[in-house]
Amino acid sequence: MKVGSPARKGLWLGIAAIILIALPLLVKSSFTIDIFIRILLFSFIGVAWNLMGGYAKQLSLGHAAFFGLGAYTSTILQIKFGISPWIGMAAGGVVAMLASLPIGALCFRLRGPYFAIATIATAQVLMLIFLKLRDFAWGAEGTTIPNLGNAPLMMQFEAKAAYYYIVLGLAVLGLAITWKVERSWMGYYLVAIGEDEVAAEAVGVNAPRIKRDIYLISSFLTALAGTFYVQYIYFIDPNTAFNFNISLEAALVSIVGGIGTLWGPVIGTVLLESSAALLQSWLGSVRGGIQLTVYSLILMAVILWRPTGLIGIFTHWYERIVHRRDLARAA
Amino acid sequence: MLATVAQAVVNGLLIGGVYALVSIGVTLIFGVVKIVNFAQGEFVMIGMYITFFLFMQFGIDPLVSLLVSMPALFIVGVLLQHFLIRRVLGQNDMPQIFLTFALSLLLLNLSLLLFTANYRSVHTWYSDEALHFGEVYIPVAKLIAFVVAMTLSGALWAFLHTTDLGKAMRAAAQNREVAMLMGINPNRVFCVAVGVALALAGAAGSLLMPFYSAYPMVGQVFVLMAFVAVVLGTLGNVLGALVASLMMGMAESLGIQFVGADSGLIVVFVMLLLTLAFRPNGLAGGRARL
Repeated sequence: MKVGSPARKGLWLGIAAIILIALPLLVKSSFTIDIFIRILLFSFIGVAWNLMGGYAKQLSLGHAAFFGLGAYTSTILQIKFGISPWIGMAAGGVVAMLASLPIGALCFRLRGPYFAIATIATAQVLMLIFLKLRDFAWGAEGTTIPNLGNAPLMMQFEAKAAYYYIVLGLAVLGLAITWKVERSWMGYYLVAIGEDEVAAEAVGVNAPRIKRDIYLISSFLTALAGTFYVQYIYFIDPNTAFNFNISLEAALVSIVGGIGTLWGPVIGTVLLESSAALLQSWLGSVRGGIQLTVYSLILMAVILWRPTGLIGIFTHWYERIVHRRDLARAA
Repeated sequence: MLATVAQAVVNGLLIGGVYALVSIGVTLIFGVVKIVNFAQGEFVMIGMYITFFLFMQFGIDPLVSLLVSMPALFIVGVLLQHFLIRRVLGQNDMPQIFLTFALSLLLLNLSLLLFTANYRSVHTWYSDEALHFGEVYIPVAKLIAFVVAMTLSGALWAFLHTTDLGKAMRAAAQNREVAMLMGINPNRVFCVAVGVALALAGAAGSLLMPFYSAYPMVGQVFVLMAFVAVVLGTLGNVLGALVASLMMGMAESLGIQFVGADSGLIVVFVMLLLTLAFRPNGLAGGRARL
């Protein structure tokens, strides 16, 4: 079904871009900006997860491994060697890519639930290792990142808006890569593997290679998010960097929004994060467990009633609006 | 030295008996319904809270509350299969994995909300008792847990091999289509399988309570242990899960004794990864049978 012309789609994207760029100028409350940053950050992590988990249906629950490696690489480079986190960010991505090779070699032998369990274990093992690394990586206490005031070259800013633009850039990067992959031969191979790996291999798809390649891309992007996050909160410890909730939210936002779709993770994040923010403002303070209780209820509802994700509802509305306008114009 | 090793082995074996109840539940559901129940640990946690509140409110001994926690969780299991799991059977991986995963999240966070993260423990007259054999001592509460756990495992074995319903369950595990052609009602068999598995988790909860604290995250420890044991013992193999759980208990206990108190989990994870890397079909070599 054709939804709008390319020109009209471009127009919508243009409007969205202007709104997103203007947003920090219009919104002054730092609480609100913080919510936007969280939404963009988790959209980005979700998009990175979705490349592998959504298109190839390799349901990882261990993306915190790469988030943490990205975070630790840039922090260690910055504090021990004085290297800018901008370079550290790229270095973290490379470290994560290198780590994805053995992790992938181990976990890709497994299917379905056991792949998920094995990826949980890899992230947890990394966390336990970093807890033990006292001299090299500050052990369990972690460390604060020295505040240099306004130092753009060291990825430190006084204005929250700067962080907003960085993470907006990351999200756009992730979406652009997804858009590109979706339209390439690799995207078709990924979907084929996701549908039925045995059948895909039977028609000549080199499944192990494709899965390895997409894992490299996905882990690289996730590591960028890790660096950004510790620079944003000025603190790192193993429990922050390798927190299971990162792995969880990466998968959750994609599934709720629509697994294996370009905009699914974004829609999922907007829904989940805004529900969390609403809860927080209603209840005043957050009671332990309330946010994940709501998330898990939403997740269950999606699985039972709309396993393809909520994106279907939005495309349906969009089609109806576009369709009605076309009819009106024709009349 | 020898006494230390013997003590660690005994401790591990005793706690391994409780792990076995959880693992057998996971492997039973996987064998019959072909679903990995991520929420199995949370049902252990629920069993523990039931036992805790019965003790605090009515002074009921944890061993007596087995008679409450097991039937209660059996019913929960039947409802779980009938209203939730049944709806995702035959779908692709995502709903099958994330349904029980979401349930696990929900139960964990609901109990965090209702009971807070505080540790709750129960002190019975046998909580501090121990039998002494030379330098090795055996805590009575753990010994009781082990003996009851082994009895329940034996009872399940007898149920699967002697009763019609048990045989139907094994038949459904071996070949669902053929079992259906033979007139077995799959949903009924699945309901009983999930019910029995949850009852075992509830039993584990009650048995743990005299020597283990209840808190919302407690299930995570047990479910991870169970996953390793279930893979190690070959998916869907009850006897394999039992033997592997006892081994896991001993490995964990030796790890704590000789590597450090905080290394229990790392031993489990490393064993999991090693198992998946070298024996992904389990030590028994891929023969799944109930």
